Amino acid sequence: MSILVDENTRLIVQGITGREGKFHTEQMLEYGTNVVAGVTPGRGGQEVLGVPVYDTVAEAVEKHNANATVLFVPPRFTKEGAFEALDAGLKLIITIAEGVPVHDMLEVYHHSKKYGATVIGPNSFGVISPGKSKAGFMAHRIFSPGKVAVLSRSATNCYETVFMMSNRGIGQSTAIGIGGDMIPGSPFVEMLPLLEEDPETEAIVLIGEIGGSDEEIAAEYIKDNVTKPVVSLIAGKNAPKDTSMGHAGAIVAPDGTGSAENKEKVLREAGSYIAESTEGIVDILEEIL
Amino acid sequence: MKLLEYKSQELFYDYDIPSNKGIVIDSLEDLGSTVQDDEPSRGNSVCAQIENYPVVVKAQVQTGGRGKAGGIKFAENEEELIEISKDLLGKKIKGLEIKKLLVVDMIDVKKEWYLSVTLDRKTKTPLLIFSTEGGVDIEQTAHETPEKIAKVSINPMMGIKPYMVRYLINYFDIDSDYLKPLYEIIKNLYKLFKEYDCLLTEINPLVIDGDGELLAVDGKIDIDDNSLYRHDDIVKFRDALTEDEKVIEARKYDFLYIPVRDTGNIGVISNGSGMIMSSMDLISQKGMEVTCALDLGGGATAERVQEAIKIVLENDNVELLLINIFGGITRCDEIAKGLKMAEDAVGDKKVIIRVEGTNKEAGLEIIHNMKDTVNSVDSILEGVDALYEHFSG
Repeated sequence: MSILVDENTRLIVQGITGREGKFHTEQMLEYGTNVVAGVTPGRGGQEVLGVPVYDTVAEAVEKHNANATVLFVPPRFTKEGAFEALDAGLKLIITIAEGVPVHDMLEVYHHSKKYGATVIGPNSFGVISPGKSKAGFMAHRIFSPGKVAVLSRSATNCYETVFMMSNRGIGQSTAIGIGGDMIPGSPFVEMLPLLEEDPETEAIVLIGEIGGSDEEIAAEYIKDNVTKPVVSLIAGKNAPKDTSMGHAGAIVAPDGTGSAENKEKVLREAGSYIAESTEGIVDILEEIL
Repeated sequence: MKLLEYKSQELFYDYDIPSNKGIVIDSLEDLGSTVQDDEPSRGNSVCAQIENYPVVVKAQVQTGGRGKAGGIKFAENEEELIEISKDLLGKKIKGLEIKKLLVVDMIDVKKEWYLSVTLDRKTKTPLLIFSTEGGVDIEQTAHETPEKIAKVSINPMMGIKPYMVRYLINYFDIDSDYLKPLYEIIKNLYKLFKEYDCLLTEINPLVIDGDGELLAVDGKIDIDDNSLYRHDDIVKFRDALTEDEKVIEARKYDFLYIPVRDTGNIGVISNGSGMIMSSMDLISQKGMEVTCALDLGGGATAERVQEAIKIVLENDNVELLLINIFGGITRCDEIAKGLKMAEDAVGDKKVIIRVEGTNKEAGLEIIHNMKDTVNSVDSILEGVDALYEHFSG
C-alpha cells in the first residue's frame, strides 16, 4: 500500500522543460516513477527525456490518463499551475516551490477543498513511497522501503531523520513533505487518517516546528483516532524570537499555541513520543518497533 | 515585512480609511517645509505644515511598548516640538535608533476600539477581530475577558459582507449610526489586506473622536515577504529601513541572513530553515552560541554559495563556520565548489562542513583537497562535537 504515490501513479510534471524540472524528471524516471507527460505552455509537441510535452494539463490528462501532477514551476506561477491542475480534474497536486505568496496558497487551499483534491506543499520536497515511486526532488538514495511513515514540514530535517533511519535498518512506507509555509495544502491532520488506515504503515514520525497550530490540531486528532505509535519532533526551540508587533497573534492564540513547548505538551498528552533531536527519533523508533 | 506606523498610515490613506493628519520628519529642517497637498507625508519629501497645536510626536521604531519607553511625547507649541524632535531623533529605544518621527494632530479621544484582519493559520482563513475595548491593554482583555473580543472568520471566496458588521454592532450594542462607517472601514481594511498580501492589518486604537468620527490613530501592517515581488513600493521602504547591511547584501542573492546573538561566535550556513533551526538547537544544547545564520534556500549554485560564505565571514564575531547541507534540490558539489571559490575570504578560519544527499561524493572529493582548516564531518552530531572540541580544547 503506502499512501498518495505508488506503482499506479501516472505523473505529470508541470514545468518539465525548466532546469529543475528536467533534472528532477530524470531523477524520478531513474527511480522508476511513471512520468507519463510534461506540461509547459508553448512547448507542446516537444519531448523531454522521451516524455511527451503538452501545452496544457487537460491535454496531458486526456491523452495519458494521468492521476497526479508535480509542479516544478517558480513560486509566482504556482497558483495558476495548481488551478489548471484542479480544473483538469487531478486529485493529487504536489507543489514544490519555495516562496509562494501565502495569499495565493489561501486561494489554492480553499479551491482544492471544493474540488476534493489533495494538494501537497508548497515549500516541500514532495512525496516518496520508497521502492515504488517518487514525485518531487528528494534525495531518494537515502530512503529505503519499510513500515514507518514520515511527515515533515522541513525537507532537511526529514532527510536527516530518514538517513539515520535507513542506516539503522528502519525503512519508510511513505514520506511526505507537508511543507514549511504558513498555509500548507494538506496539514498533518489530513494525512493522519490515510496513514492510520494504511496496512503497510506501523508507526508515524511527525516532524513539526514552531509557529502555527497544525501540530496542535494533529495532536487533537491523534488522541482519539490514531492507534499507531507517533514519534514527534518540534524544531526551533532556540530560534531567535521574532520581535512581536501588533496584538492579533496574542489574541488569536492567547494559550501560547505555536511555541515549541506547547506543541510538545499537547502531543505528549495525545500519546505521542517526543524526540529531542532527529537522532532521538530513530532511538525511539528502535525501541518501540 | 512589518511596516512602520507612518507607512501603515499612508496605506490607510490610500484605502480611504480615515486616519489622523500628520507629517513624517527625519531631520529638524523638515519641520520648516511648506504644505504641498492634503496627503499625509510621503517619506520626507512631502511635508505638510503643522497648523494646530498641541501635537503628538511619535518615534518610528519597530517595537511594542513604545509609549512607556518614552517614544511618544506631546508638544504644545513649535518650540516644544523642536525641542522634543531634537531630543528623540537619533536616540535609541530598546536598542533601535529613532530615524523618523511622525507628528500628528492631538485627537480628542472619546472611545478606543480595536480592529484587525489577520491570517488565522488554524482555520486557514482571514480572521476579523474587533473589540470596543481597544488601546494598549487589548492583550490583557484577550486573556481576562475574552468575551469582550469578537472574532469572525472571513471566507476568502466571499470577503466582507455587511451582515458581519451588523453582527458586531449587535454583539457590542453599538449605536447603529456606526454601521455604515464601520462597514466602510472594515471593507477597505480587508481590501488592503488582500491587495497588499498582508499577514496582518491592525488598527489600534480605532478612535471615536470628539465629533463622533472614527479615526485610525495607530496602525500596524505586516506584509508577506514572499509577495514583495509584486509590491515595489514596499521593497523600497524595506531597504531604506533595514539597518543590518548583511541582511540587505544577502537579499541580493535571495538568501535569508539571520543575526542571532552578538555574544555568539559560530556562523551557520544551511540549505533550509528547518536545518538551520535544528543545527542551532543542537549547538545551544551543548552550551555554545550561534552569532548568525544564513539560509541558502534550495538549489544554490557555486557562485551563490561563494557569496553566502563571504557574507557570513564578514561578521567579525564569526570564529568558526559550520556548513550543514542535506541536499535534495541542492547539490553537494556546488556547495563544495562555492567553498573552494571562497577560499581567500575564509583565510585561516576554521570551517566544519557536512554534506549529504545529491552529488555527495563529487562534493567530498573537492573538500578533501582543501586545506586542513576545512574539516568535513559525516553528520551534524559529529559537526557539533567538532565545534565543542574546538572551543573546549
